[in-house]
Amino acid sequence: MEISYVRIDDRLIHGQVATVWVKTYDCNRIMCCSDEVAQDELRKQLVLQVAPPGLKAYIVPVAKAIEAFKNPKYDSFKTFFLFTNPTDVLRMVEGGVPFDLVNLGGMRYVEGKTQISPAVSVNEQDVDSLKKLSDLGVKLEMRQLVKDPKVDVIEKLQTMKLL
Amino acid sequence: MLAIIIGTHGYFARELLSTAEMIFGSSSNVKSIHLIPGKGVEDLVKEYEAALEELDTKDGVIFLNDLFGGSPYNAACRIAMQSDGYGVVAGVNLPMLIEMLSIQSNTEGISIVELTEKAIEAGKMGLNNFHRTLLKDSGEDEL
Repeated sequence: MEISYVRIDDRLIHGQVATVWVKTYDCNRIMCCSDEVAQDELRKQLVLQVAPPGLKAYIVPVAKAIEAFKNPKYDSFKTFFLFTNPTDVLRMVEGGVPFDLVNLGGMRYVEGKTQISPAVSVNEQDVDSLKKLSDLGVKLEMRQLVKDPKVDVIEKLQTMKLL
Repeated sequence: MLAIIIGTHGYFARELLSTAEMIFGSSSNVKSIHLIPGKGVEDLVKEYEAALEELDTKDGVIFLNDLFGGSPYNAACRIAMQSDGYGVVAGVNLPMLIEMLSIQSNTEGISIVELTEKAIEAGKMGLNNFHRTLLKDSGEDEL
């Protein structure tokens, strides 16, 4: 399985992801990796049905995604990976999936989180996971829209005194 | 870079562009032209001509209009008779505009006629219906 791109976006496959991001980064599969969404049948159905025509989409628990990555049966996959949070991305990398760049696209604000950009809010666990990913050599770039400038996540967290 | 002129009744054009920018990001070499009460085809032709002066048109111009046969469309066709480099599409929707914005910088080797066809294709691909009885059995989507 080839890694086309990795994006953290808690809305998973939505408008601009389906129309712009997946076209910018060549892929033939979309894989949403989330234990939570994979077991929520209703949400799973709703996310899968907005996959762009011609692009097969999957929603699987993180452990299954790691297995599938290593399975030669899926060698022809060029996968656009989607996650709802950085902790799940960390689990994938620790599980042996070699992401070298992760795009931090969208994590909505909920009470208790700190907003670091119009589209991204983080809590302690998010920051911790981002730091661990960076320590493992994964480049972290914040960009909501494809045309936005790339912002280094670690630098941003340091500027905001979260790291 | 392809020039895009969106021409509609009312302010649909600029709102459509504004919405497209929420999805796509900032745009360039695009102009919105609006037919508001009191204006007619002649005014639109003049406004289109003024827009063509401002835009970079050496790679061609695509007019995206709302209604086939409406004044914005008719005025665009009048202009399009002046050059092979001008194409017109009626029935603009958001998916069509987003697609045109996406390919604006990469139209080398694609004729203006082909571009109008691509616009229509994108507009059609954007049409989709949903009803819970239409959902496929998710079993097919398992790994």
